[in-house]
Amino acid sequence: MTDDRLLIEQLSNPKTQRRAFETVVRQYSEQLYWQIRRFVLSHDDANDVLQNAFIKAWQGIGSFHGDSKLLTWLSRIAINESLDFLRRQKNVVTLSTDDEELNVSNTLMADEYFDGDETEAQLQEAIAALPEVQRTVFLLRYYDDMKYSDISNMLGTSEGALKASYHIAVKKISEFFKSHD
Amino acid sequence: MMNEELYIKNRLGDRNPFRVPEGYFDSLTAEVMKNLPEQPKQSILVRFRPWMYAAACLVAVVFTATLYLLTPDSSEQMMAADATTTDTYVEDVADYMMADNNDIYALLASEY
Repeated sequence: MTDDRLLIEQLSNPKTQRRAFETVVRQYSEQLYWQIRRFVLSHDDANDVLQNAFIKAWQGIGSFHGDSKLLTWLSRIAINESLDFLRRQKNVVTLSTDDEELNVSNTLMADEYFDGDETEAQLQEAIAALPEVQRTVFLLRYYDDMKYSDISNMLGTSEGALKASYHIAVKKISEFFKSHD
Repeated sequence: MMNEELYIKNRLGDRNPFRVPEGYFDSLTAEVMKNLPEQPKQSILVRFRPWMYAAACLVAVVFTATLYLLTPDSSEQMMAADATTTDTYVEDVADYMMADNNDIYALLASEY
């Protein structure tokens, strides 16, 4: 019996589920944190979104029957939470200000938990400007080297559509930098 | 790998430019577990399952009782059928013998 299957069995038993969930958190939290962080960019936001994602996963544990891998299920929750957070944030920023100083690369360069240079900050800005699906597939392919089949399971989008989205995303980003060379 | 992807990798790399506060991941599990509610939320189906069973039993009892009370009693039905059959039979016999009630009473009185 694999670790995942044992964990899933323990998660379905009210007597063992909390301890099993703690194992899940220990096992997957770092990987999920980095997935979330690439979406929301700041550490504090990533931490908040991660906490919410785990609360959602805990609340929905009864609906998980092991049809997909645990990590795929958790990643789906984490990504949905990240996208929800960005939508809310976008509304707040649009309503409050149009200040140029608030652009992504400037914010990142001022962030104490960002170690990149200006080019890397610009890459994050170019990624942040992509539509949701292109952004999601780009982040999961480019940084996590995730298979299209896994992304397809996670997002419920066909592999063909994901490949097309990735291709467009890569094209947009390379054009952004080529125009700045 | 497509040309544009190669261009981005060569130009920008794919290193992780983010970092976290010192010791963040060491305390993360405890922090997450502290924020979790004691019990996971049960689905509505699971939460109301005992009530659903009770309601199903109640419906079954009410349905059976209604069916029982609204259906005429079978023994009464049989007795009514028997009485009708007997009356019809006696009348048929009396017609056949060309006898009326007075003949029958007279016959009975003469015997005993």
